[in-house]
Order: sequence, then structure tokens, then C-alpha cells
Amino acid sequence: MGRNLRLENLTKRFGTLTAVDHVNLEIEEGEFVCFLGPSGCGKTTVLRMITGFETVTEGKIIFDGKVINDLIPQKREFGIVFQSYALFPNMTVEENIAFGLKVRKRPKKEIEERVDQMLDLVGLREWRKLYPAQLSGGQQQRVALVRALAPDPQVLLLDEPLSALDAKIRVRLRAEIKRLQQELKKTMIYVTHDQEEALSIADRVVVMEAGQFRQVGRPVEIYQSPNSSFVADFVGTSNFFRGVRNGDRVHTEKRDFKIARFESLPEGKVFLAIRPEKIEVFRRGEIPEGLERSNLAIGRIDVITFLGAAVRLTIHLEGEEVISDIIEKEFSRREFRQGEEVQLYFPPEAFMVFSAEEGSR
Amino acid sequence: MKLKKEGQGLTFSAPVSSERWLVWMTMGILLAILAFFMLYPVYDICKLSFLKGGTFTLKNYQSYFSNPRMFRSLTNSLYVSLVTTAITTFFAFFFAYGLTRTTIPGKNIFYTISTFPLIAPSIIQGLALILLFGRNGLITRYLLHTDWNIYGATGIIVAECLYCFPNALFILYTTLSAVDTRLDEAAQSLGASALRTFFKVTLPSAKYGIASAAALVFNLTITDFGVPVVIGGNYNVLATEIYQQVIGMQRFDLGATISVILLIPSVGAFLLNYYLTKKSYALISGQARPFLQPSRPFKKWAFTIYCWIPTTFILIVFITVFLGSFVKTWPYDFTLTLQHFDFPSLGGNAPLWTRFWSSVLEGQWRSLIAYKYAPIWNSLWVSVLVALGGASLTLLAGYLIEKKRPGGVEILYTLSVLPAAIPGTVMGLGYILAFNKPYFFIYGTFWIIIINIIICNFTLGTLSSIANLKQIDRSIEEAAISLGADPIKTFTQVVFPLTKTAFFSNITFFFMRAMTTISAVIFLVSAKVKLAAIEIIFLDIDGRTASANAMCTIIIVLVVAMLVVMRLITGKSGLKGMSVTA
Repeated sequence: MGRNLRLENLTKRFGTLTAVDHVNLEIEEGEFVCFLGPSGCGKTTVLRMITGFETVTEGKIIFDGKVINDLIPQKREFGIVFQSYALFPNMTVEENIAFGLKVRKRPKKEIEERVDQMLDLVGLREWRKLYPAQLSGGQQQRVALVRALAPDPQVLLLDEPLSALDAKIRVRLRAEIKRLQQELKKTMIYVTHDQEEALSIADRVVVMEAGQFRQVGRPVEIYQSPNSSFVADFVGTSNFFRGVRNGDRVHTEKRDFKIARFESLPEGKVFLAIRPEKIEVFRRGEIPEGLERSNLAIGRIDVITFLGAAVRLTIHLEGEEVISDIIEKEFSRREFRQGEEVQLYFPPEAFMVFSAEEGSR
Repeated sequence: MKLKKEGQGLTFSAPVSSERWLVWMTMGILLAILAFFMLYPVYDICKLSFLKGGTFTLKNYQSYFSNPRMFRSLTNSLYVSLVTTAITTFFAFFFAYGLTRTTIPGKNIFYTISTFPLIAPSIIQGLALILLFGRNGLITRYLLHTDWNIYGATGIIVAECLYCFPNALFILYTTLSAVDTRLDEAAQSLGASALRTFFKVTLPSAKYGIASAAALVFNLTITDFGVPVVIGGNYNVLATEIYQQVIGMQRFDLGATISVILLIPSVGAFLLNYYLTKKSYALISGQARPFLQPSRPFKKWAFTIYCWIPTTFILIVFITVFLGSFVKTWPYDFTLTLQHFDFPSLGGNAPLWTRFWSSVLEGQWRSLIAYKYAPIWNSLWVSVLVALGGASLTLLAGYLIEKKRPGGVEILYTLSVLPAAIPGTVMGLGYILAFNKPYFFIYGTFWIIIINIIICNFTLGTLSSIANLKQIDRSIEEAAISLGADPIKTFTQVVFPLTKTAFFSNITFFFMRAMTTISAVIFLVSAKVKLAAIEIIFLDIDGRTASANAMCTIIIVLVVAMLVVMRLITGKSGLKGMSVTA
């Protein structure tokens, strides 16, 4: 067993406000875990408790079998990458990278080699003599990344490292971080509010809300099988219907859907959720045979939004609005128009069902 | 063992314990310094004014209010302060308006000249007015042949207006340049006339700034000692009355009583200023200032001429005192001479300085440099130590207040900003009462003077440190810590280099204050320890006006030299954004 990081009933209260509420998690060595949640959900507080900059109100942080609650930050040897880069403006790129090695009093030779190695890792060798202010945001964050990696930390913590960057650089740097993580096999904990970022980068995603872990799982699980309407809504886009379940049927205000996945849910009030790309769109005469008739509905295309690879149709459905995404190629082939009347099909197995009693939506 | 761990987790966990300890210790030391050298003297003053023979009494206050001559110092103080406040705020506002809202030429010249009064002791305005309008004034005696002279309320008011002008200007300049000019443009685009825009938009948006400048001027005037002592004549104000009672009559109890009376308006004005400054900053939009439209010719010319008025007055003050120190007999004989720089024997010596020059020089030069210039050397030495000590302590205080925020930091903050509320003369008297004791060995040495000047100017030093530290992102420090740097390395290698500019400008500020301050240290100088700025007063009282001018000139030259040096070091003007309180 490697040097795992374990959170046990970790709790943080600021006065009467509970920012983090009895959370539990085991992170294995070499794993890439992402904390995802809306702002104010407590994800940064969890990270700051792990770094040691925030005190723990209750519970334990255990690293490599030892409780580290009371260990001061500089003894934890966890590297941190900040949203604001936090490079030392008075030092050059190489001085920044060497800082953590210098304060540890490593031999000069070793520091030089390590700095070179780090610069190569992010391809910034020719920028080494420059000051942070002379670099672009993306370059600065690369320097911050290898500065944190230089002392070979046990765990690397990244606090919304890409939020301050342009969309394009964000995607590129995201891939770079992922590559580094796979190369170095370093345990990384990454905090973000961007669900696309979380799903694309992490081995495991922790979805947080109101100080609690709502769901922990692989990105694909989180997306395909959210365990609550909150997760279904926060991660990706979903259409929601409110209804009452009775066997494999859910009665909404206007419709009566057949559903396929409802395993352990009790009968009664439920939320139905369906991803926009799962809804199928047909012209009136084109409906194939063998579809579940009760899951068909007639609507009118209200708005067509071009998203690039996909096209989003906002469809008016007798007082309800449903969005459906179809891939661009198919949209061009079928030439849907605004105002056109269409048939929507909601496949029973595409419906996600959540109890409405939890009240999280 | 396991239980114990859990118990700790539940009650109080402090992952930053070793650092905590250092922070607490530093805060404890700062609190102790401020309490001992600021609160304790003020406490002693209150005690002396209310206690007689160990019992509480209002007898001192009775004798103050029943003596018409003494009581007049209160009404006199209020009168000159209110008039000065009104005049200065008015003039400074339109001056600031001209600099920020019009496109007049020569803004930099106006701004620079208007800051001149900060580099000289407040007494310089008094000296200049006496040279021009005194009993032997160039204008009164020589040109107009009149017996009228400026001594008294008029002199005090004119001199204080000049002295307070840059201080009010800083606040109003900041206010007016921060308030969004697009509001004005919006109002005018909606059809409001220029005048209407001014009264309905510009003025209301600057109201807190105006009020805060007024409160500051009031505080500066009512606490000033240098101006009334040279130009007040028989017109006594609270600050001079304290000195009179203590040094002239040895009535420490009455001095303490007047001090408490002076504390009321001065603390009041300070609190008002403080409160209004906060309000005023809340109005600042922080948006980039858009392009200023060229002013219409009439507005441009009117403001150019207007701005020359206070600027000219300030220039005249400096030129007059400069000239006064180089001409033979003002205003009758304008032959240039250096004789006034050969000061009468002032007594006092500066140990190292005197010994060194005595061994190097002979005869006349020896007595001049080794003995007569000793106060100047003392002043320089004191100023350098004040600059280093003051800048370091206020940086530390600012660092704790802004970045570390340990429990009870509010107390440190309150004590750090409080000194500006306490008039210098009160602080000076408090020091005599509290520290003139045989066992308090640094009393009577220049160390007590150094401490006093640092404490008296603690407020502005701390506030500017805080303002600067605010600009350093918290995560920069956390980055250093997470990379393994201990608290001391974090401070010396990361935080300090980032605050260097502010630190140097604080050094300049403390140096300037130490060279020019009068009100508190006048109680602390002695026959052995003399300071240049104080000697101006004694020379003036002795009737050696020309030598007083010469001493003033030397101080200005030294301060300017310091500004030049600091500018060379930092590449920035040391005066920018610096305001002086108390």
C-alpha cells in the first residue's frame, strides 16, 4: 500500500457556518482526484485544510498512516499551485523554481540540475532569466507548476489553477497537467468549478455541494449515473421533469413516461432527468416502428443555437421547454428550421430518476 | 495516546504553531512599546490633572476656567483652527480641482511646489511672515512704513493655512481623482450646465473627502506649536499655553489639565477624519480614469491664475527665509553674508561628532563645526535612527495587522493609529511626567527623543505599510511556506523585497518628521541634547532671527538631500502620496 491520503469526518466550521461537513475520502498514491462544485461549496476549504493553511475543526487528515492535523504547512511537503500563480515577482523564473530547494539547503549542483529538469518539463528553458511579469499567464502558471514540483512534494494540490486563463490556453494547459501527472505518477488534488475540466482531467471526481461530498466516482460514472438531481444538473446539462412514479411509469403533469432504470427507488414523487443528447428528434412522418408511444411528444423548435460540433435545439413542448443536442453533421443533413414542428422521443433507458423528497432541486 | 489526539482535534488545532509563537511574540513587543510609550504618558497626564493628594478633584479645571487669560487659550485655539480650516479647505479644494479636473498647464510644478511645506518645520511659515510683515518686516516697515504687524491671530492663521495646505491637498487630490469623471460627463450630456454639474454632482461626490480634509486641517492647526510660538505674540493658544505653564511656571498640574482639554478637540477631529476617510474610500470606483476633455479657455486661464496664488505664497515663504539667512541685516542691508551660519554658542554637544572634529580642526573652525553645529549633527543622527527604527516597526505592525491577523490584532491596530490623535505637546509633557524618574535611564538622552518621534508618527507609517501590504496576494506568502520556507525566510526573502519601495518611502517620511518636528521634542531636549529644529525657536526667542532662518535653511537642505538620495535609490519620488498628521 502506498502513501495514501485519507480524510476522516473532516469538518470545518467558521463560527456558526459549517463550510465542510464530515467528509470522508481515501486518495491513493498516484491518483488524480478532482474536487468539483459551485463556488462556496467548501472545496477550497478542504484543500486549504489539506495544505495546513486552515485549521481543522473536527475529524482527521491522515497521510501515510499518520494524523497530520497539527503539522505545520512547511513540514507537510505538499506542493501547491494557486489560481493567481503566486510567483515571487522579485525573482526570475529559475530563482522561483529553485526557491523550494534553496530553503531546504540542497547542494548547489543538485539545485541546478533539478531546475534544468523542471524547465524542460514545461519547455521554458529559454525563459529562465526572465521575471514573472515578462511572461504570459499560461507561461506563469507553467512556472508555478514546476516550482511546486521541484522539491518533489508528496502530493500536489492545485487550487483552480486555470481559472484565470483564456479558454484556449486553459484546454492546452489542462492536457499538459494531465500528461505531467501520468509521467510523474504524482498524487494530485485539483479543485475546480468547471465540470468539463474536472471530467476531462481526473481519475476520480468528487462532486461537492454545501460542504458535503455528493458523489465520488470516475468521470464517466458521474456523468452517466449521477446519484442525485444536483449532480445531474451540475455536471453536464439535463432536462428535468417532476412527477410521480408508479412501477415503470412516471406521471408528469402532462405526460406519462415509461422508464427503464429505477432500481432501488421507492415509489412516489420523483425527478426525471434526461441529457439533451439522448433525446431523439424526428420529423412527423419519419418516426420508426417499435418506439414506446407514450415517450413521444410533439413540439416546436423555438431557438437553434450553434455550438460548434453540436447544435442545440430549444424545443417548445406545450408550456415546457426541452433542450436537445444533435451533432452538427446530422443537423446539416436533416435541415431543421426554426418554428418547425417535430416529434421528440425520450428513450426509457435514458431517463435518470431521482427521489424528489431529498429536496436538492 | 489516540484519545489525546482526538481531543486536540476537537478543541483547537493549530497547524501553524511555531509561526504563531513568533507572531504572538512580535505582537506582544509592539503592544508593549505602544502601551508604555504612548498610553502610559497620556494616562499620567490624566492622572495628574484629576488627582490631588491621591483624591479625585476638578480643582485644576476650575482654576483653568476661572482664569480669563488661560481660558482664552481655548477660545483662541478654536477660533484660529476653525478659520484656518475653512480657508485652507476652500483653497485646497479648488486647487485640487484645477489639478484633477481641468487641463491647465504646469500641473507638476503646482503639485511639487505645494508639497514644499512638508519638508520644513512648521515654524518656517512663521519666520517668513515675520520677515515680511513683522515689526521689522520688509513690507510693513520698509515699504509701507506702517506700525501694523502680523503678530497674533492673523499671523497664526496665515501661517497655518500655508502649513496645512499640502495635507488638505493630498486628501482632496485623491478624492477628486478617484471619483469617476464620467459622472460629470453624464450630467453634462443630460443637459446640465457646468455650474449645475459642479454643485449637483462634483461637490456631493467629494463631500466626504472635503470633510475629512477639514478635520485633518483642524487637528493639525489646533495641535501645532511651532507657528504660534514664533508669531503668536501675546495671543496664547492651548499648545503654547501648555508649554508656558510647564516650562515657564513649573505648573505641571495645569499643563496636564490644558493637555486634557486639548485632547478633546484633537481626538474628536482625528476620529472624524478617520471615519470620513473610510467613507470617502467606499465611494471610490477604482475604474480607470477616462480621457479628460480639454477645458474651455476661460476655465483654463482662470484655474491657472488661481493655482499660482497659493503656489506663489509658498514660494515666497521659502525664498524669504532663504534670503533672510544670507543677507546682513534684514530688511535694511541686503549684502550677502554667511555670518548667520556662525551660530551663537548654543551649548550642547554630540559626543562622537564633537570629539572627532575637536581632534581634526583648530581655532575658529573647531568651535564652529565641533560645538556650534552639534545640534545639527544630533538631529541628523536622531533622524537616521528614527527613520530606520520607525520604518521597521511600522512595517512589522502593518504586516501583523494586514497579513497575520492574530487574535487581538484590533488592539494593535487601534494603538497604531491612535498617536495621530494625540497632540505633540501633550505627548511631550506626558513623557516628562512618565519618564523623568531617576531609574528611567534613557530619560535625558537622545534615545527618548528617538522613541518619542517614532511613536508620534506611528500612525501614518503603519497606514502606508498596510496599504502597501494589501497589494501583496496572500497566496504569494503561502507559496513560500508550502515550498518549505520558515516564517523568517518567508518575511525576509519574499515579503520584505516586495515592500521595499514602501519601506524606503517610510524611511523618508520618518527622516523628514524627525528633522522638522518641534512640538513633542521641545519638552525633551536639554542643555546636553539639542536638536536643530528646536534651536530655531530658541534662536528666534533670543532675537537672532537671521540665525533662526539659517538653521531653517540648513534643515531644508538636509531634507532635500535625503529626498534626492532616496530618489536615486528607489527611482521614485519620496514625497508622493505622503501626508503628515500631528
